[in-house]
Amino acid sequence: MTSPSTPKTPSVPTGQPRVSIKGASKSFGDSVVLNGIDLDVEVGEVAVLIGPSGAGKSTLLRCINGLERLTAGSVEIDGVRLQYREAALNRMREHVGMVFQSFNLFPHLTAIENVMMAQMSVSKRSSADARERASALLARVGLEDKTESYPSALSGGQQQRVAIARALAMSPKLMLFDEPTSALDPELVGEVLQVMRELADDGMTMVVVTHEMRFARQVADRVILLADGGIVEEGAPEKVLDNPESDRAKAFLRQIESGG
Amino acid sequence: MEFLDALVTSWPTLLKGLRVTLLLTFLTLFFSVILAAIIVALKMSKVRAFSAFATVYLAVVRGVPLIALLFVIYFGIVSIVKVDAFTAATIGLSVHSSAYVAEIFRSGINSVHSGQVEASRSLGMSRAATMIRVVAPQALRVVIPALVNQAIISLKDSAVASFITVDELFMSAQRLSAATFQPLTYYAIVSLYYLAVVGVMTYLSGRVERYFKKRG
Repeated sequence: MTSPSTPKTPSVPTGQPRVSIKGASKSFGDSVVLNGIDLDVEVGEVAVLIGPSGAGKSTLLRCINGLERLTAGSVEIDGVRLQYREAALNRMREHVGMVFQSFNLFPHLTAIENVMMAQMSVSKRSSADARERASALLARVGLEDKTESYPSALSGGQQQRVAIARALAMSPKLMLFDEPTSALDPELVGEVLQVMRELADDGMTMVVVTHEMRFARQVADRVILLADGGIVEEGAPEKVLDNPESDRAKAFLRQIESGG
Repeated sequence: MEFLDALVTSWPTLLKGLRVTLLLTFLTLFFSVILAAIIVALKMSKVRAFSAFATVYLAVVRGVPLIALLFVIYFGIVSIVKVDAFTAATIGLSVHSSAYVAEIFRSGINSVHSGQVEASRSLGMSRAATMIRVVAPQALRVVIPALVNQAIISLKDSAVASFITVDELFMSAQRLSAATFQPLTYYAIVSLYYLAVVGVMTYLSGRVERYFKKRG
């Protein structure tokens, strides 16, 4: 992990959380997905969201960058409240990277063009500057030999690493990962987690939805267990994963253990 | 062998008509794509008045026979400003085709996975930039076969321009048939012309599709 894009942390008043979620609720029609969630993520913290499917993990993540609109409550990033006007959303999203379960690389562009796109379109960098940065980032995720490949010619793990590089190209101060390894063949999971681990070691603030308990244990500063739209347990990984207090948490952890 | 004679001797006349038909078809395609892009943008707009206008436009244009549309435009416009028949035909055919091209564009846009838009917007790209740089290039590949099909329809539709005195391919055949009293011969010959052009267009679209497939 070398210098090309060590995340630059803008000066933030000491103690101010990077993300501050207050009373976040979200309903789709009649079904309540998030029910009054309060959550702060500190600068440089790696917060891992776990929980049964349908718990609202992905929805919570998507509410942080405004892909979903909260029904009630608020999200603040570095003290700036999330607003849903297009210009405000665009400005916020420049600094918040997101990595999706299904990669969502642009299939009509090569790997390096994927990483260059937003740099040129949003940050107005020249093609040459964007290319230089993109190629450094692709090298950083171990894909220096795949720069000219189209996504269809890459494995799932390679595609996801390009997607991470694409998000990093905007120098985000926060990275959101929505089940980044769930769509991968088992043997490809490790290479993606490795990149994420290095990112965490570099001090990136990360919110990760995952089913990879080993990753949660090794990399998370804090594990947050969501169920039925609320936080049932949170704390250090050892505490939440090994000594859960609530019955809901115990039941969930038993389930994943027996499921492998 | 009479037919072959007629085929050879009618060539110079029909070639002139064919030129006009091809130009008319090309202009129709060009303007209907521009019109359709505007209509789709209006239709997808968050401003209610814009999307309502697009809905009405599509309903009217699709609900009116081409020949009626053409007559309305030709006689309607001529009464206000002096335009020639060719211009009126270009406008009429373009408006008519634009409704169908708009539907093709819309289905192409809808075929692009929503994750593409989310990925683009998550990078801070605006709605417009997302449409232009991410959605449109992917939609374009999907719609090429349908667009070629629409171009073929426009080519054949352009024969209707003869009703407002445009001297295009079909009109040339009409005149030949009237002069020789051999309608079967000349309408068969002119049909072969249309068939040949459609054949070339189909071949080219196959090439274009293959080109895009190779790029994954």
